[in-house]
Amino acid sequence: MAAEQGIDPIHQFRVEPIIPIHIGGVDVSFTNSALFMLIIVGLASLLMVFGTSRNALVPSRLQSAAEMGYEFVASTIKTAAGTEGMRFFPFVFSIFIFVLFSNLLGLVPYAFTVTSQIVVTFALAILVIGTVIGYGVYRHGAHFLHLFVPSGVSPLLLPFIVLIEVISFVSRPISLSVRLFANMLAGHITLKVFGAFVASLLGAGAFAVIAPLPLAMTVILTGFELLVAVLQAYVFAILTCVYLNDAIHPGH
Amino acid sequence: MANGPDEKDEDAALRARLDALSSKLDAHQAAPGGGDGSNPGDGSQPGDGSLGGAMSLGLRVMTEFVAGIVTGALIGWQLDKWCGTSPVLLIVFLTLGTAAGFWNVYRIATKPTGRGPL
Repeated sequence: MAAEQGIDPIHQFRVEPIIPIHIGGVDVSFTNSALFMLIIVGLASLLMVFGTSRNALVPSRLQSAAEMGYEFVASTIKTAAGTEGMRFFPFVFSIFIFVLFSNLLGLVPYAFTVTSQIVVTFALAILVIGTVIGYGVYRHGAHFLHLFVPSGVSPLLLPFIVLIEVISFVSRPISLSVRLFANMLAGHITLKVFGAFVASLLGAGAFAVIAPLPLAMTVILTGFELLVAVLQAYVFAILTCVYLNDAIHPGH
Repeated sequence: MANGPDEKDEDAALRARLDALSSKLDAHQAAPGGGDGSNPGDGSQPGDGSLGGAMSLGLRVMTEFVAGIVTGALIGWQLDKWCGTSPVLLIVFLTLGTAAGFWNVYRIATKPTGRGPL
């Protein structure tokens, strides 16, 4: 992966245009990031289309995977947002599958990790918070603002509490996006750095003897990254449900 | 008509058994993490395992806390630029942001949403 002389662990995150397109001075080039997003959507669609095409009573592996994905997300929504949250099932399911596939696909060597770009994760987080605000206002109108006014607080403290609640709400998309982005970025940089250790130790004469040590570390870290990839997709999905729960039942 | 009392006895026994079972079920569902609507077969879900659950919870607490502070600082900084009152509002909102960060952590700790440690 990184056997060149100057090993740059950041290089893997560079977005490079494949087909340059400029419309009215705006750069809308088809990049490697866009290519991998298309691959992710394609893979997820293939899994779902072929997994559900033959509704066998004894499921095949593919059908089993698709059904497990459905039941997992459905139970997550029901526990975090109640039965009413199920109307957001398509939304949460799409986000979960997209994040899961991009995290897992990023672990394939030479693949581009879409979720290691903060633009992508922040767009997802804004989509979630936008849905929460939009649905909350549509469903409850001005009553949605009770989310920021907890009951049973003395009037003296209320302005501070409301300010703190508003800041806490605004910090949600930031924490949601930064968590996913930072986990992916840090994990991939760590993998790359340990891989680079192997390469440079092999080229350092007698020190090549200890080259297997970072190699073993790389193997362990790859397994660890697999755990982080699935875990972060799950955390993103469950926090989406928690925030949607606020839109469905505002006012604690 | 001869086996009338027998049937009555059986009915009573059945009802008693049903009551016992339903009270057992209620107790099981009331227990933390017992019956949250998920089948027992999905024990391998991420977030359920001790390592995975603890790690995700720790990362969640950390990012929620940091995000509160950063958001407060950003709001204060931008308001200072608009009002030309640097650095009064930055300090005020940094304090409020820190409080919001603690509030986020407090909320995670007191009201566990979802299953288990999450």
